[in-house]
Amino acid sequence: MGEAKNMHILSKEDFSEFINSLIADNSLNVVGVKSKGTKFAFGPLESADQLRLDYDVTLLPPKKYFFPQRETLVTYDVASGYQNKSLADTKPNIIVGVHPYDIMAILHMDEIFCETKSDPNYLARRNSSVIIGVNIQKMSESCFASSMGCATIDYGYDLMLTDLGNKYAIDVGSHKGADLLNKYSKNVKKALASDIQSVGKKKQEIMNKTQQEFSFSSELIPEMLGKFYEKTNFWEDHSEECLSCGSCVLVCPTCYCFDIMDNPALSLKTGERGRTWDGCLLEDFAKISSGENFRNTKATRYRHRYFKKGKYLFDRFGFVSCVGCGRCSSNCLPDIANPVNLFNDMYAESLKIGIQIDPATVPDVKIKSGDVIDYAPKIATIVKKVPMTANETMFELKLDDGSELGHEPGQFVQVSVFGVGEAPFGVSSSPTKKDTFELCIRKLGNVTSKIHTLQEGDKVGIRGPFGNGFNAELLKGKDLLFVAGGLGIVPLRSLFNYVLDNRSDYGRVILLYGCKEPRELLFGDEILSLEDRKDVEFKSTVDRCPENEVWTRNVGVITTLIPQVDFDPQKTYAIVCGPPIMYKFVIRDLKSQNVPDDHIIVSLERRMKCGVGKCGHCQINQLYVCKDGPVFNYSKIKGIPEAL
Amino acid sequence: MKPKVAFFDFAGCEGDQLQIANLEEEILDLLGQVEVVSFREVMKEHSDDYDIAFIEGSCTRLQDEERLKQIRKNASIVVAIGSCATIGGINSLKNYQNLDDVKKTVYGDKANLFDTYPARPIDAVIPVDAYVHGCPMTKDEFLHVVKSLLLGKKPEIPNYPVCVECKKNENVCAFERGEFCVGPVTRAGCNSCCVNEGTKCWGCRGMVDNPNENSQKEVLVKYGLSVDDAIGKFKLYFGWQGKKK
Amino acid sequence: MNADKNLEVNVHHVTRVEGHGNIYVNVKNGIIEKCEWAIPEAPRFFEAMVVGRDWTELQHITSRICGICSIGHTLASLKATEAAMGIAISDQDIKLRKLALHAENLQSHILHVGFLILPDLMGVGSVIPLASSNPAEVKTVLGLHRMANEMSNLICGRTTHPQRLIPGGFSKIPSIKDLLSLRDNLQSSIPALEVVANLVQSLAPKIPNFVRETEFIALSNPDEYALYDGKIASTDTDSAPASEYLSYTNEYIVPQSTAKWAKHSRESYMVGALARLNINYDKLSPLAKKISDMFELKPICHNPFMNSIAQLVEIVDSVADSIKLITELETTGLESQSEYNLPKVTIKAGQGVSAVEVPRGILFHDYTYDEKGVCKKANCIIPTNQNHGNIELDMKALLPQILDKTEKEIELNLEMLVRAYDPCISCSTHAVKVHFV
Repeated sequence: MGEAKNMHILSKEDFSEFINSLIADNSLNVVGVKSKGTKFAFGPLESADQLRLDYDVTLLPPKKYFFPQRETLVTYDVASGYQNKSLADTKPNIIVGVHPYDIMAILHMDEIFCETKSDPNYLARRNSSVIIGVNIQKMSESCFASSMGCATIDYGYDLMLTDLGNKYAIDVGSHKGADLLNKYSKNVKKALASDIQSVGKKKQEIMNKTQQEFSFSSELIPEMLGKFYEKTNFWEDHSEECLSCGSCVLVCPTCYCFDIMDNPALSLKTGERGRTWDGCLLEDFAKISSGENFRNTKATRYRHRYFKKGKYLFDRFGFVSCVGCGRCSSNCLPDIANPVNLFNDMYAESLKIGIQIDPATVPDVKIKSGDVIDYAPKIATIVKKVPMTANETMFELKLDDGSELGHEPGQFVQVSVFGVGEAPFGVSSSPTKKDTFELCIRKLGNVTSKIHTLQEGDKVGIRGPFGNGFNAELLKGKDLLFVAGGLGIVPLRSLFNYVLDNRSDYGRVILLYGCKEPRELLFGDEILSLEDRKDVEFKSTVDRCPENEVWTRNVGVITTLIPQVDFDPQKTYAIVCGPPIMYKFVIRDLKSQNVPDDHIIVSLERRMKCGVGKCGHCQINQLYVCKDGPVFNYSKIKGIPEAL
Repeated sequence: MKPKVAFFDFAGCEGDQLQIANLEEEILDLLGQVEVVSFREVMKEHSDDYDIAFIEGSCTRLQDEERLKQIRKNASIVVAIGSCATIGGINSLKNYQNLDDVKKTVYGDKANLFDTYPARPIDAVIPVDAYVHGCPMTKDEFLHVVKSLLLGKKPEIPNYPVCVECKKNENVCAFERGEFCVGPVTRAGCNSCCVNEGTKCWGCRGMVDNPNENSQKEVLVKYGLSVDDAIGKFKLYFGWQGKKK
Repeated sequence: MNADKNLEVNVHHVTRVEGHGNIYVNVKNGIIEKCEWAIPEAPRFFEAMVVGRDWTELQHITSRICGICSIGHTLASLKATEAAMGIAISDQDIKLRKLALHAENLQSHILHVGFLILPDLMGVGSVIPLASSNPAEVKTVLGLHRMANEMSNLICGRTTHPQRLIPGGFSKIPSIKDLLSLRDNLQSSIPALEVVANLVQSLAPKIPNFVRETEFIALSNPDEYALYDGKIASTDTDSAPASEYLSYTNEYIVPQSTAKWAKHSRESYMVGALARLNINYDKLSPLAKKISDMFELKPICHNPFMNSIAQLVEIVDSVADSIKLITELETTGLESQSEYNLPKVTIKAGQGVSAVEVPRGILFHDYTYDEKGVCKKANCIIPTNQNHGNIELDMKALLPQILDKTEKEIELNLEMLVRAYDPCISCSTHAVKVHFV
């Protein structure tokens, strides 16, 4: 920003007047830093006297004004469906006293909330807010913003204040800031050269102030982390005392994970769906209905936070998503959350064992903003319900507004049941089947159990289709080897049936399907009738056959079928889907048959809440299963330890 | 068809049942969704034909077990309400003392008229389907459980510590104020109400599924409590849970 | 006619009272062989539990003696600790504590009169059918109950187990703005109170006219209708400071109860709203006296059934006095304190006794601390304990007078007698007098 022409001066008295006239305007929500106990927090201002611009750090960052701790996203009425909660009545926030590191954090959040798909609630609040920053006067003990280059900032604010004793220097950073100053303040003067120099000097002093610093250059962080992923002892030692309390992430200005919950009224006829802050350090963050927890130890969760901030987000966005505010560190009771301590330990360890670490290359990132997310589901009616096994039922659905789902094979939808919740399901029918679409649902938790009680004619909410599906185009002309384990047949069927409907576009089509026992076979008649088709090679197997059941085909795990098929690895693409444990073994067997890495396609499962890559639950390294997956090319994820 | 509900109380202070009376006008909405067939504190009538049983208070005598087992037989769903019923509550504090001595000194030669054994939560005697934790429980959480049961869903309760809610509510941490808090191992769901009122968490909702007890004790000692007193903090509400581990 | 009477009444777990109590009556050939009020409630041993705990924890633990009189137990506990260690309380905090007790009295009395007594007077089993037959009145009662709870929430944090009440004062206090808003609500509630009073008056003929002379004990204070502070007063004898409580209570064990009984100048005595009114009548506000006059309730009334009417009078008095207290705070100004207040206390060894009036009567807490602030001994005497003896003697006197009625009517009358006392039975079985070697 061209400092000279934008710098102004306001006496302290006139500044108070400015704030008080903002407060007097009832159409604005004026908030600023106030004292709270022995600490500080952003809160509603009743008068300029309450402002404490000399503060060191606030308990919570100002992100709570754009992304509140709790907020209603959608309301519903069983009779009429879901509606987005309007933000029309929200007053614009005038946020007074934001430190540079928190401004930088807001800029990080802007990218995170708007990439690929934009979050409408965040955007609405953000766009109507005004940020009045203030240069740091007192630095907290745990602050390492200087090391992260965030102790001062030259952009991202509407106005930036610097305390010059009896007056404030105000740098105007935007038209919004200029307008605000014009409308609500008096006696604003242009800054003199000496004032501008004073500001420069103050900023330099701050940048030189260090409370905590790295013993190495911070640009080594992403690569250094990469080298330490496998070092379990390091992570276990450092996380021994972790209480899984989530304090470190809940106070963090760049954390954005959230959970979504339904809250019905007592009448059960209406209700709302809301979101609330969540944290990856909490024990059940990565736990799914089946009970599987993808990060079930303190060490893996503890490691994940550092990786997410220091590597995954760097790989995805090109910045280390930490601004050095030090809140995580000061809020950790066992004192294990200080990134400076951790990275210094890591660096010292790397010297000890002689690992070479290079500065990371900033990835060439093209983040595009796309559609605005619609959190309100559309209503669909159950037109057919066919129980297939003791626990799995097939539901055929039709959208009430008459539109096609318009999905690609491999994509998923989020299904809502009024008041109970929402859960993701892979679409099981091919898009070539018009008017309706099919889901195969296993009864497991609250949402699925409730769905199982619904009858034909009942209604559910649908969001989607979401995710990266199978690239049917890419597979044209190839031989296809489908490997389905258990419930894995469900998403594979969407592609399989698509291929059958376009049979002449594809080469050999082989389906290998394995279940635990014969009575768990899904799509029974449909699947077994494949044996009669000449244009499909179908083999099935069960892990075991109990005495009272009849099974004349192969008995053994799914991998026992692979050697029974003769295929050309160069011409063949393997499409694999099944329980987490299955992938390792199937891929090993495929590799032993020389199938190239990029000929293997998998569909993964994770805990998914928002379905649009915002809430953070399904994240594997820098990838979101709901956005970059669930279908992945193996070559893309084979290097990612969390994936398989 | 409205489900039939019944309320029972054992060794407790009746504070949780009072929260139901504290629903005020919402009681009428509640009565629109359930049929109360037994609630000794407010009504004369009683029926053994009920679907959902709400039980307050701990089991502190052998003779109470029979009553509990009968309730379990009659009900399809049993809900424990309040800390005494869900985790043993403050009653479990006495489990650390020698009960025979206590009885004898109190009642002298009449001691054997009074039957008591270590206080325990309801699920130590009968299987329990849902829990409304807290001392007292909050009416919001009670309604949350009721609504979940009406929807045929297993109520979701947090498995993370009170710190989560405390931070969301932007409290100044108790430890920073010279207080000794057990929030880091206590199950959330109360919205950190006690810290919000200017104090600290005492642990009335019981511990999360996998608390890091050692770390919590070390934190207490680090901030100035003696080891004995730190262990003592765990006896207030975690008496039964702690001994089980 | 009565000479042929054979009757056996076993009311197991009397309904519409807090806690478990049984009525046993056995009449053979017109002779009363047995008439007992028995408490089978599980003893909870609170006085044993607090031994060895820190002075900062006592009020938290003893609050759990009762969910309905939590505020009272907490305040009695705090006063005992503060007496033991010589901790001073500011005038402002005393006013706020008095407001807290009013909130508790309001909540408890409204619940008792509205939910527990009204059904008997209207001839139904509970307040639930009244929700359909008399929706307006029920909504009025609920609205008053809600106001009382909102008042507790504002002053103490919550009605049951109030967090804000701590040794030396309050962890957090309301703003003057909120207190003034509360005052407005209290003011606006007066018409609703009159509706309830009128309703009860229309049912007054249903209140049994039963008299048995007994002693009444309550706090008395020269300056006010005593709830928070005062001397122990009796309708029979002189008054004395709280520290002499044992000479008034004289607890002893009876075989049919896990709760103990008490006696003073007669075989038993009564505590509670009626006792307070009998002793403090002239300190009632004009508004409350108006209600008392409606029912011709004046000292000394020996009809235990009038306890519920005395509660009604106290509801109105609490509203009037709360308005007065808030006005006083408005005048002197409310001194602000930290949002997380923790008064500094110099710990020292000592013994402290407190007496506080809770809805059901006079409550005593007596603690002994060592020099580290650890509790060595504790004694709590609960109002309902003090009433058990009086209840049984009343039953024994009432029974012959109603022997000509049907079994169902006799049962109902005996139950109504118990209910009139508004007993809090689980509190009364907190008890264990512990002598540690």
